[in-house]
Amino acid sequence: MKRIIELNVNGEVHEIAVQPWRLLVDVLRDDLRLTGTKRACGQGACGVCTVIMDGRAILSCLTLAVECEGHAITTIEALEGSDGLHPLQQSFIDHGAVQCGFCTPGVIMTAKALLDDNPHPDDETIKEALAGTYCRCTGHIKTVEAVRHIAQPGGEVK
Amino acid sequence: MSAMMKKSTDLSVIGTRQPKLDGPLKTTGRSQFTDDVVMAGMLHGKIVRSPIACGRIVGIDTSKAERLPGVKAVVTHRDCPGVMISADRELLCSDRVYFIGDEVAAVAAVDEETAAEAAELITVEYEPSPAIFSMEEAITTGAPAIHKECKNNKMDEFSLDIGNVERAFDEADHVRIGECSFNPNHNCFAEHHVVVADYSLPGKLSIWTPNQSPLYVQKSMGAVLGISESNVRVFNLNTGGAFSGRIGPRKHNFIAAVLSRKALRPVKIRCTADEEFLVYPGSGHFKYTFKTGVMKDGTLKATEATYQFDCGAYWDPLFNVLLQYKYHLIPQVYHMEALRWKETAVYTNNPPNMYPHGAAFLQLKLAQETELDLVAREIGMDPMELKFKNAVKKGDTTLSRIHYASCGLKESIRKVSQKTAWKKKFGKLPPYRGIGIGCGAMNSGGPDKAGALIKIGEDGKLSLFIGLPDMGQGSHTAMMMIAAETLGVTAEDITVVAGDTDVAPFDIGAFGQRGTFFTGNAVKLACLDARKQLAITAGEKLGVKPGMIVFCNGRVYPKGEPERAESFGKIVSLTLHSQAGKHIMGKGFYHTTATSREPWVSTLAYSFGAQVAEVEVNPETGIVTLLRVTHAHDVGRAINPLAIEGQIDGQVFSGMSQILTEECVMEEGKVLNPSMLDYRLPRSFEAPGIERFIIETNDPYGPYGAKEVGEGPIVCTMAIANAVSDAIGWPVREFPITPERVLRAIREKQQNKK
Repeated sequence: MKRIIELNVNGEVHEIAVQPWRLLVDVLRDDLRLTGTKRACGQGACGVCTVIMDGRAILSCLTLAVECEGHAITTIEALEGSDGLHPLQQSFIDHGAVQCGFCTPGVIMTAKALLDDNPHPDDETIKEALAGTYCRCTGHIKTVEAVRHIAQPGGEVK
Repeated sequence: MSAMMKKSTDLSVIGTRQPKLDGPLKTTGRSQFTDDVVMAGMLHGKIVRSPIACGRIVGIDTSKAERLPGVKAVVTHRDCPGVMISADRELLCSDRVYFIGDEVAAVAAVDEETAAEAAELITVEYEPSPAIFSMEEAITTGAPAIHKECKNNKMDEFSLDIGNVERAFDEADHVRIGECSFNPNHNCFAEHHVVVADYSLPGKLSIWTPNQSPLYVQKSMGAVLGISESNVRVFNLNTGGAFSGRIGPRKHNFIAAVLSRKALRPVKIRCTADEEFLVYPGSGHFKYTFKTGVMKDGTLKATEATYQFDCGAYWDPLFNVLLQYKYHLIPQVYHMEALRWKETAVYTNNPPNMYPHGAAFLQLKLAQETELDLVAREIGMDPMELKFKNAVKKGDTTLSRIHYASCGLKESIRKVSQKTAWKKKFGKLPPYRGIGIGCGAMNSGGPDKAGALIKIGEDGKLSLFIGLPDMGQGSHTAMMMIAAETLGVTAEDITVVAGDTDVAPFDIGAFGQRGTFFTGNAVKLACLDARKQLAITAGEKLGVKPGMIVFCNGRVYPKGEPERAESFGKIVSLTLHSQAGKHIMGKGFYHTTATSREPWVSTLAYSFGAQVAEVEVNPETGIVTLLRVTHAHDVGRAINPLAIEGQIDGQVFSGMSQILTEECVMEEGKVLNPSMLDYRLPRSFEAPGIERFIIETNDPYGPYGAKEVGEGPIVCTMAIANAVSDAIGWPVREFPITPERVLRAIREKQQNKK
């Protein structure tokens, strides 16, 4: 039996009918057509489904859509502004931290949640934050460089 | 950052650090992947798989599934009678199943939940029979035949001798025989297997699936389904990692097409994490025995390599045929007088195997490099010195008649030895600290072909048509840079048109390390063709011979007279609206055949690399920490150093991962750790510091001198294995080198001392 819920995604409130067991990742992708968030393992192991809820990085493949009512969800689609890419996005491009791109939204959202909470983390903190995401293409070497660039004192964070 | 040796100063685009041009799409989530495809009327498919490894199918009852509301098609072998996807493998099992996961039926429904429910309602009755999971058992006399056409379960046996092997071993001062083995692993790409197939119109199939070779998907699916190859339209959207594991179509591609034909609607099949690991592994078991003969001064005399691999329940023609001919890797890096090669592929009831990352080159090179390390120690020689002594160089021809027009191997070895202060460390580190070296070479494709087309608009912008996929390695950006260099424009002026076989020129695909060399050469030729056409009109307009026209910054002018420059767009317009009325469109086709012993698996250009790894081993826990990797790679010419660094990083990480941690733990044909939590992959904090050196040797055949780098670095990562053995003081001969195997090696060493 479907329930009508209100989901606040990227500042917009959507009224949708969902079965209670529907996952947030599926509702974002299939109902709201926000396909920037990817789905893969479905077990919370790879991190490609990472979005931000109330400032915290969460795994949308392990979150029920109905749990998100009353919370603010942010997806990759919200990052760029009218004046261009978010500095994190630009840093990933400039540092060669994007290869196949499948994990990229999840890694960027993870990094954003970290930097919003802690604007100047050290390398160990960055690596620990990214440990929940899996990137075989880069081995997380250039992704850490890209985040480090923004994290250093004077780095820009919106 | 990396250091460039012999910096390219004569080119303006090639050699610059070019961020990937699809970066903005990928970082904003706009890039389309197959699971993002939604079509009107699209159904979702689920596959019914055998829970037993070996047995007869007694009966299949699909009646309940067919009656479930929302189910639009159910298929079994009756819907594709006698259709084989390879010599020994049916599209859907009719009579027998051969591994846990073997596909027996499938269903398409309006959503995934309904499809999954319907799949559960299909009942299959089996009569199990004894299954075989080890190669040793499979080839024991009297073992039951897994496939009745192959009585002794040896699907393939291949052996050859090059040179006088017996004499070479007789003359050797020292002979070592050693064995090692590798356990199964998985390519583990982030994007799991997925397909959308639209076969709703007869004779015309459209397929969206992440893949490395749209051409191979066309040919294979066309042949199996009885569709003319050009009527199989393959869309390559983005591919979420390939790592040698997406070269051809797999079973779910065919099943989706059959479901679509029956339902007359598009069908999407997404594989779950379980299916990824249980049914689509990378490699199976490999076992190597190496016999190596050397002189006391380290000169290599002969190698005899015997290897046996578990091909699983079915023989994949692409995977297994190339494995046979990997013998040419053995004399690829080091000179030797003679080689003996014996290969056996064995059927078991394990899941059918495909390439792991590194296309199983890694496993073979790991065996060779670790054995050479031990040989060196046995004759009291520094392994680096032994490898350097026997290393190939420019102008050499190997035992398997591969010729090297360029070769930076010795330079690479010297670089990494110097930068790591090898001489100060080797043999002098404290206990449980180790240093190791690995050297490798990699073919830039094989003797194949590629086409490219370039069209120039009246606004001076260019469209580059290629058939080469970009799986993240940056191939499209590299092609754009080659085009930009040749035509004197910037990479931003070019749009790559790819990913649709209806418009793509001929291209075998992004595998075999061929893209830079083959497609790159085709692109250069297409641009030179367009340039010639532009030069004719420009020459007429500017009153000079075409040969005097300079191309720079999207403008053309007579040499020495930049003030008279005209834009590309202007010249294109003039040509189009002239009496000749032609559109500027360049075409290029590049093909070549190398004249080695096995022309069909060799090429004109090889990359070379050397790597030193430094590790620390914890003797209590057996955990290995990879402290530092220093890698030098001869890429011919660095088209995009930023992308090359990314390739080196990714391959060091994957090599580290396959050598130290990745393993599909198998029991009775089942993977016990089918998830990314339990399948041990390294995480961000385990990546080592990597120092990278790009070496340029300007290959005469490569586009602007470039060679491959897509798989070269990974075959040097055996440095890590050698470093661990150095740290322990005892070789580890079963891979991956898990903590348990480290502790076992430490114990063996202690027992040996007693």
